[in-house]
Amino acid sequence: MSNSNGRMRLIGAIFIIAGLAIIFQIVRVQNSPQAKELISFLEKTYNQEVRILKPERGNIYDRWGNLLAGNTEVYEIGIAPPQVINSDTIAQDLSAILGLDYSQVKKIARSYVEEGNEKYMVVADFVSADIVHQLEKKLAEYEIAEKPKKGATPSLNGVHWVAHLRRSYPENSLAANILGFYNYYDRVDGRGILGLEEQYNNLLAGTDTQVVLPMNPTAIQEIPSVPPGSSLILTIDRGIQAAMERIAQKALEDSGAEAATILVMDPETGEMLAVATTPAFNPNEYQKYGDVFPLGSHYNRAISQLYEPGSVFKVLTMAAALDSGTVTPTTPFVDTGAIEVGGLWIYNWDRGAWGPQDMTGCLQHSLNVCLAWIATEMGPTTFYTYIQNFGMGKYTGIDLAGEQVYPLSLPGDQNWYPVNLGTNSFGQGVAATPIQMITATAAIANDGKMMAPHVVKAYIQDGHQYDISPRLVRQVISAETAHTLSEMLANSLENEASIALVEGYRVSGKTGTAEIPGPRGYESSVTNASFVGWGPTDDPKFIVYIWLEKPTSSPWGSVVAAPVFSEVVSELTVLMKLPPDSVRQQMAQQ
Amino acid sequence: MFDQRIVQAYRQAPWRVQLQWIGALLLVLVVGMLIAGVYLYLSAEATAAGTQIRELELEREDLQIRIADLSTQLAFLRSAAFMQDRAEALGYKTAHQGDIVYIPVPGYSGRQVVFLAPPPGNESADASIIKPAYKESLWEWLYQGTFDLIESRGIKP
Repeated sequence: MSNSNGRMRLIGAIFIIAGLAIIFQIVRVQNSPQAKELISFLEKTYNQEVRILKPERGNIYDRWGNLLAGNTEVYEIGIAPPQVINSDTIAQDLSAILGLDYSQVKKIARSYVEEGNEKYMVVADFVSADIVHQLEKKLAEYEIAEKPKKGATPSLNGVHWVAHLRRSYPENSLAANILGFYNYYDRVDGRGILGLEEQYNNLLAGTDTQVVLPMNPTAIQEIPSVPPGSSLILTIDRGIQAAMERIAQKALEDSGAEAATILVMDPETGEMLAVATTPAFNPNEYQKYGDVFPLGSHYNRAISQLYEPGSVFKVLTMAAALDSGTVTPTTPFVDTGAIEVGGLWIYNWDRGAWGPQDMTGCLQHSLNVCLAWIATEMGPTTFYTYIQNFGMGKYTGIDLAGEQVYPLSLPGDQNWYPVNLGTNSFGQGVAATPIQMITATAAIANDGKMMAPHVVKAYIQDGHQYDISPRLVRQVISAETAHTLSEMLANSLENEASIALVEGYRVSGKTGTAEIPGPRGYESSVTNASFVGWGPTDDPKFIVYIWLEKPTSSPWGSVVAAPVFSEVVSELTVLMKLPPDSVRQQMAQQ
Repeated sequence: MFDQRIVQAYRQAPWRVQLQWIGALLLVLVVGMLIAGVYLYLSAEATAAGTQIRELELEREDLQIRIADLSTQLAFLRSAAFMQDRAEALGYKTAHQGDIVYIPVPGYSGRQVVFLAPPPGNESADASIIKPAYKESLWEWLYQGTFDLIESRGIKP
């Protein structure tokens, strides 16, 4: 009996010791560094989700609040193979609705059964909401469908669709050259390309936020509200932009030009009201960029394409001469049809001699010889100081990506010759972009004050709207000189009964025809036809710059560009609600 | 003397000692069950609330996407080309200079540039939406409650 008790006690003790050893081992294992590491790994992997919250890309509006760039809802469609119940239904529906390859979809749907694949696989992206509604309809049908007597139950189990935003341009090609585009197909590294989308990419994109969300529902973690990227309000007027694009396209067809550019600016503030260039491009289909813009062509010619502006440049030369006191409007000049500058002869556009002229006549008949004489009278130092002050050879600083500039050759430079003084005076041998030209000329329409051109009027950030104030670049000429030159240019248009004139409105302006330099010198058969003008002359509210590249119907700016100016002003006066001069003056007197 | 005997007899009564033990055990059991019940109830409530919050957060994200999409769809319907076509279909004609009559309106300074910033919202909007009560455990809640009670009575813990 006592032996039996002893054995029992021994067995009991062994069990107790074994039990304690097991408990000790459990505690030891659970508290070992490896266990802590494993728990931490599992927590990170299965107990929490790391999400990068991308803010909604900021919108872009015109000056009246019309949406030019926004975001639209699209879907990513994927398959979670372990959740698939019926791979046939999935393959059949996805191939029918999304146009995917049946066998490929089926292979993915069966990949868990056949290969043990647990990975979620994206089968389609950027799918429209309409298509997803068809899938939702199918899903609803299967939910209420009766179980078939034979075969598997039809099911879309395992198919997931997740909504996300895609950049969208509701106006399609309107103002595309200003907006640029966003390469939305790259969902990880997408960014703005060209125009405003590139210039203000960081502002529009906002800041990504990374959050760690616990999968355990009791451990609630608030998903922070990520503020959207900043929105931009432009100086662009959608109505004016649409009208200018329409006129540019018509001018292109009428003149047979290779390209057309029309800029409209408020000279008082430097605000761009429209920047129309050809060819048209729809940023919603940005993948076609290469087809529309072959290698070497410019997305926005108004800021990127340099050209010799020709006679529109004479306005700047005359402004410099008047302001420096070299000439007055009545200074006489006898045009003999040729002038020697730096050992080379300069002729008029028609090789003719126009006889006695005053300075208005020189502008009216666009006499190269007269302007070359004025430049020599001024001297290179004065001439180039003014030209530089007008911003030639410098960036205008317009808030669009892709602005180009060509350095201005100055006396002392290797590529400057004395004849340049003569040729530069009428816009030859000097290269500029349309934005440089309109910015410089706008100073004459704005009492001699040159304003920085810009397309962003305000931006909205964190619920506040911040206005961008107009920036004065410099006072280039005196207000008196500016008024005198405006009058001279208005008179010159009226004297020649230019087709640029608009009934009821007094406008100032100048045509330009520039031969295009080629490998064998200037080719007179192909030209750049331009026109710069502003109005109303006594109180300018707009300045317009027109450039037609290589027109074929006529090489002359006075023939192809001047009527475009007239058409532009006729539209502008309606769109800007500018009453005719007589009505305006009458209203001012009341 | 008699009283002392009665008390002694009562204290020494074996059934009384057993009753005390049973009572104590039952008390512990009931308190334990109560705590477990409260814990289970609160855990279930917290889980349900957590799930609901997650669903609402997802719904908020979906709504933000939907709002952005609807704004863009509206812009498509109000685009310059679309409006032009619609106006023409309705019989409207483009106005030209000769069609317009200008009437002076005293004090009217012309059309103003749009102001699109949202109106000032509730200042507490930035504060956390989820109250701390949804995030703390039962023990944290009890501890915090006790601490607050002690502090409110001015007793140093």
